[in-house]
Amino acid sequence: MDKDSNKVIEESLILEVAAILSRDPGSIDPEIPLHEMGIDSLGFVELLVTIEKKFNIKLMESGLTRNDFRTIRSLSSKIGAMEYSR
Amino acid sequence: MTALPYSRNKRYLTGIDWIINVLNYMTLKETGAGFMSQVVFELNGEADSLQTESSLSAFMKKHPLLNGRASRDFNLAPYWKIPAEGTGKISFETIHLSDSLDKDTSFDDVLTGLEKGINRPFKNRNEHVAFHLITKKGKSYLAMTFDHLVFDARNAEAFLNMFQKDWESGEYPCDLTITEPAHLSMWMDKFKAGQRVNRAFLQIADRVPPRVLPLPLPQAGKGFKFKILSFKRKEAEAITENAFNQAGYLMLMPYALSASVSALHEIFAGRGFVSGNYVIPVSIDNRKKEEVMRQVFFSNVSFFIFKVEAELAVSFPELLKSVKEQMYNQVKTDLPGDICKASLLMRIAPLPLLGSLMKIYLKGQIASFSFSYVGESAYESSCFMNNKIINMFHMPRVPVPPGIGIFFQKSKENLNVILSYMDGMLSGEESGKIFDLLKFRLGVE
Repeated sequence: MDKDSNKVIEESLILEVAAILSRDPGSIDPEIPLHEMGIDSLGFVELLVTIEKKFNIKLMESGLTRNDFRTIRSLSSKIGAMEYSR
Repeated sequence: MTALPYSRNKRYLTGIDWIINVLNYMTLKETGAGFMSQVVFELNGEADSLQTESSLSAFMKKHPLLNGRASRDFNLAPYWKIPAEGTGKISFETIHLSDSLDKDTSFDDVLTGLEKGINRPFKNRNEHVAFHLITKKGKSYLAMTFDHLVFDARNAEAFLNMFQKDWESGEYPCDLTITEPAHLSMWMDKFKAGQRVNRAFLQIADRVPPRVLPLPLPQAGKGFKFKILSFKRKEAEAITENAFNQAGYLMLMPYALSASVSALHEIFAGRGFVSGNYVIPVSIDNRKKEEVMRQVFFSNVSFFIFKVEAELAVSFPELLKSVKEQMYNQVKTDLPGDICKASLLMRIAPLPLLGSLMKIYLKGQIASFSFSYVGESAYESSCFMNNKIINMFHMPRVPVPPGIGIFFQKSKENLNVILSYMDGMLSGEESGKIFDLLKFRLGVE
């Protein structure tokens, strides 16, 4: 999985998180944990549903660890790895 | 001169507003008081009652909408009739506990005062907000009792936030949204949403009604009792950590709901109930904070509807899994959005008829209990007027039926859990047991 593909996934997730939080995408730092950005249970499930629709990956059933979900960057690299291994 | 795009004395009601009106009608009929709630500030120091009353009166006068009432337009759409002027005369009651009892007054005495406030019906159909100030040595409790016809929980906080800003610096928001279209177009969209909601409810419905606690006998008190559990910062962090470990990252809401089902299941089991599953409507407000600050009035919530098979309630991991899956599926299919759209069709029905229709799916019932989780407060200041806020919590009267609910709400660093139930519905031992079980499930015994 190359860095460029991860970057594309990350940018796509930044747009989704910005939409969920009604914020400017430029203000979203991919290294900040999602809960510190103000995402709650409902916002997080909205993000998971978007990921399923966009990348065809069911993250709720994927056995990812807490750290994988923690930031947009870690989530992007996991999604990238899962896409690559398919 | 440009014509105003709306009438200043009319605001159309949404479908959710109309459902709130139905719940208000049903609760009023059963208990003599409507679907009301109360937001309470626990304040450091003794608040000045005269100054508080006069400042709140002046602010309320600016909002004639709060003295309105529901009516129906020539096009049959229900609307909120707004009087030309607000009233400067507000209901404001002061109780000085330190005057009559010894100085070490317990929170139970405060709670009794707060319960009196929330259980008192409004004076007339144009009154929807009242205030109560309880003072005791070194502390005060300011409660705003409100009709859900004019505010949902976060809107009530946002209204008090507006008051505080106005009081502190005269800053008043210039972008408040009060208007609402009549929603008399795009019928096919609404009908399709109605079909999807209908299918969702048919899936939830069983051959028997859901498991419910019987309402108290008519001779019992018609008021609501409350139990309040306030977790401070360290305990609240421990609960969040437990939720992360057991339910997953950011899964506090499903975790709190599962803990509530598990606790109430023990009460049902203790009474020997074996028939029916649990149905729990969960009110959600997915507006962002800035939107809450603009849409301060009326109801901006929608609902998830969870069904929990009774046999799953004994296994916490299975229960959690089921709740998470249902939440995921309902977000995916946008059930809350469909409920908003479909409910617009229901506005044609008069309140008594719609109340009966809402009970059809679940064989005469509406739910086993109510639940909500509010993770972000709309009140920003750390003070109310001059007094520092120690805690802020809500005391909602649950619609009847079901007449019982559990509510989680964050206030700064605190996590508050409120059990609300009709007087006589639970024994003192049972309500205590619910909190013991909740603490056990949340991992903070």
